[in-house]
Amino acid sequence: MIPLLSMQDVRGGYGDADILQGVSIDVAPREIVVIVGPNGAGKSTAMKAVVGLLDVRGGQILFDGDDITGWTPDRIVRRGICYVPQVDNVFREMTVHENFEMGAFLRRGDLTAAYDRVYGLFPDLRAKRRNLAGDLSGGQRQMVAMGRALMLEPGLLLLDEPTAGLSPKYMEQIFQIIRDVRDSGVSIMLVEQHAKQALAFCDRGYVLATGANRHQGTGAALLADREVAQMFLGA
Amino acid sequence: MTVVSFINFYLVPGVVLGSIYALGAIGITMVFGILRFAHFAHGDMATLGAFFALALVGAGMGPWTALPFAMIVTAVVAIAVDRGFYEHLAKRPKILTVIASLGIALMLRSVVQVVWGVDPQTYSRGIVRPESFGGILLRPRELYTLATVVALVLGLVAFLKYTRWGKAMRAMSDNPDLARLSGVDNRRVTMLTWATVGALTTASGFMLGINNELTSMMGWSMLLPMFAAAILGGVGRVEGAVVGGLIVGLAEELSVLVMPGQYKMATAFAILLAILVLRPSGVFKGKVL
Repeated sequence: MIPLLSMQDVRGGYGDADILQGVSIDVAPREIVVIVGPNGAGKSTAMKAVVGLLDVRGGQILFDGDDITGWTPDRIVRRGICYVPQVDNVFREMTVHENFEMGAFLRRGDLTAAYDRVYGLFPDLRAKRRNLAGDLSGGQRQMVAMGRALMLEPGLLLLDEPTAGLSPKYMEQIFQIIRDVRDSGVSIMLVEQHAKQALAFCDRGYVLATGANRHQGTGAALLADREVAQMFLGA
Repeated sequence: MTVVSFINFYLVPGVVLGSIYALGAIGITMVFGILRFAHFAHGDMATLGAFFALALVGAGMGPWTALPFAMIVTAVVAIAVDRGFYEHLAKRPKILTVIASLGIALMLRSVVQVVWGVDPQTYSRGIVRPESFGGILLRPRELYTLATVVALVLGLVAFLKYTRWGKAMRAMSDNPDLARLSGVDNRRVTMLTWATVGALTTASGFMLGINNELTSMMGWSMLLPMFAAAILGGVGRVEGAVVGGLIVGLAEELSVLVMPGQYKMATAFAILLAILVLRPSGVFKGKVL
């Protein structure tokens, strides 16, 4: 199987220090891959390397046949990778619908199908389309953020801690939506603090520690791994 | 004092002055909201634009016909100033751009003084008789000023609300990182911002000139009230800048009722101090300076 995204021994950081010291992650088409690990392991940093927000100083990032290492963020977005940051991930002073419009900024032509798809995934937002994104609850804001990223119909969606700060009820809902998004043909890579729940729901997982790969495997295998359980799952 | 004379001698001049400040404050608030720095050359850019209009009037144009052309020329100048100076400082701390804009202010003012001299000038000579609307006296130029300000503000608001690039400008002001992640071209938004700001500030300089006289210092002396208006309305808020401008303009004109006229300019300073102490995010909750 040819992976859609392949990070190969990626090194890099902001400024001088290398935060990533050799990270290799593959994401297959229609796969949900989760990255877990302790604080400071470089989970979010690995994700930022993919979208061009990091100085990559070693290794390669391949996406769908292209070497995208060193590309600028807007070029990577155009190529089909969309990224939802953990914080500040909506335009707070724009309406829900305007957030989606900004998500589709690079697209021309009829967007009716794209709007229908996003409002279909997030039916709660249809009634709130004229509300300012900043006025919504945390869970709904997260949905707006994901909807904005999906408007470009990316091949790969990167989610940085989509359930951070959400109640368990919303967490389940977000996980379900992520499955729905995957079923609509999008590959997903997400970083999660809630390691146990995330590993239970993903296809495959990677455990990072101190900026490098530590464990990898299917979610079930990682959950069953004694060392993983002791180190990261607090079990 | 009767109601009618209050309206004629205080309210009308206050609203006219306020709308002039409002146009200037919109520019200041947009530069701060989208490009994140305080633009000290704003007043002198208004002066330059007003003198461009004077040059066109000298070539035989009517002042109100000359205004749109002067706005376009100043818009181009504003873009050129950005490309020539500010753009090179974009990745450095913002305070460098702020200080550079102070230098640009001096340069623009010097250009005006070299080309047009330092004596006060006017767009048209002679006294215009105001017309009476049931005792309320209005000059045609005051009516044109108010109508133009209303048209420009409504046009700008519609542009920001309904057009693709207007929304991109709001997005850049709201969350620059996310705007870039959505594929918004930062350089193009910057260019559009300067074009808008150059055009609006020209209109404010022109209105000040046509309702009084043109001097090379007029823009610089408008800078403080315009900043006060922008901060009062909440930095980054167009509608706030309009309200702030009207309040500052009215306060300046009304201050004469309780204070000697020489202290008129101090009113804006007092408002600025009060708002920074009491509510630094402004009436409409803008970005904190």
